[in-house]
Amino acid sequence: MITTQNFPYIPGEHEAEKASSSYLMSLIAFIAGLPLPIINLFATIIFYFGNRKGTYFVRWHCTQALLSQLSVLFMNSAAFWWTISIIFRDETITSNYLAYMMTVIVFNLAEFIATIYTAIKTRKGIHVEWFFYGGLTHLLCKP
Amino acid sequence: MKKIPIQLLALVVLFFGSWFVLKQVDWVTVLKVKQKTKKTEEKLGDFFWDMIKKSEKESTSSFTITAVNKLKISICKSNNIDSSKIKIHIIEKDEINAFALPNNHLVIFTGLIEACEEEAELSGIIGHEIAHMEKNHLMKKLVNEVGLTALISITTGNTNSELIKSILKILTSSSYSRKLETEADLTAVDYLIKAKISPEPLANFMFRLAQSTNTIPTQFYWISTHPDSEERAKTIIDALKNKSIINVPVLKKENWDLMKKDLKKD
Repeated sequence: MITTQNFPYIPGEHEAEKASSSYLMSLIAFIAGLPLPIINLFATIIFYFGNRKGTYFVRWHCTQALLSQLSVLFMNSAAFWWTISIIFRDETITSNYLAYMMTVIVFNLAEFIATIYTAIKTRKGIHVEWFFYGGLTHLLCKP
Repeated sequence: MKKIPIQLLALVVLFFGSWFVLKQVDWVTVLKVKQKTKKTEEKLGDFFWDMIKKSEKESTSSFTITAVNKLKISICKSNNIDSSKIKIHIIEKDEINAFALPNNHLVIFTGLIEACEEEAELSGIIGHEIAHMEKNHLMKKLVNEVGLTALISITTGNTNSELIKSILKILTSSSYSRKLETEADLTAVDYLIKAKISPEPLANFMFRLAQSTNTIPTQFYWISTHPDSEERAKTIIDALKNKSIINVPVLKKENWDLMKKDLKKD
């Protein structure tokens, strides 16, 4: 799911630090322990816009971090509003709901581990591409 | 680049596939969700009933207890509800009030029974409160207004008096949202029709007390905490259109009169 690839050039120390930070931004909500899935996306968007004029390596990783956050946002938003409707409305806890929550937890955990791994690797200047998101980032982010 | 849609499809299949596979397990039973919810409800209900019991006087009038229980059994039996789980408590108080507590405790004040002009009115109120219990409105309202964490803390020994007071106020005021009230009214109408009791007297009770609240507001607690009573009464009447209503009294006329006389004596 995650592959280490050669980047067109060797990124500098400063670039590696910024690229690594783009992944750390997406962990903000995890660290703060906030249940609102939108917080992660906001942090990543702010970082993305702050660096859209950065070097190719930084832009590329900001884009990959942002894209991965987008898909998690849909998944987590559904989980969030489903839970809210159980607490405040007429919905009840069903096996379907619990199965969805478990799936979401597993996918979030996988995304969390992948994010930390990628942040560590990019900090060392190693280019890491994710399954699907890597290809999509190549389409959107040009040198 | 052609790989991207296939990879997207693979991710989507992986997500929904995992969800589908996990869905095959009955997690509600495995994780004992219902038992845990029930236990919290039981502890809360018993805790708050004990509090009310300590501060109020329970009626010992055998006429009243028997009559009210007969009405409860009649509604439950016709609607496949286990009547033994509903615990009726009659409190000697002039306030016109009745409310449900968690764990199927139904508290009725003697003031409310005295305000009822016929047994079908009382049956209607009992039906309305049973509907709140059966539709789980009570726990929803408590979670909504107090929060799940605060409720669980009560069951695990939290003795924060302010919190307990505020929950008790919510419970005894029995004010639900308009949506839940309407649902309880319409469910009560169904219960009553099945039990061969006319729901019309319930609407009459609401009309009568809604009009009296202008003169003696504090007394008419059940109505004053149930907003838009006139409109709700109209909704009940509308729900009865095109329905054949039979009214078969549950109690003998002399038993109803004896109960009323016994209440006046107290």
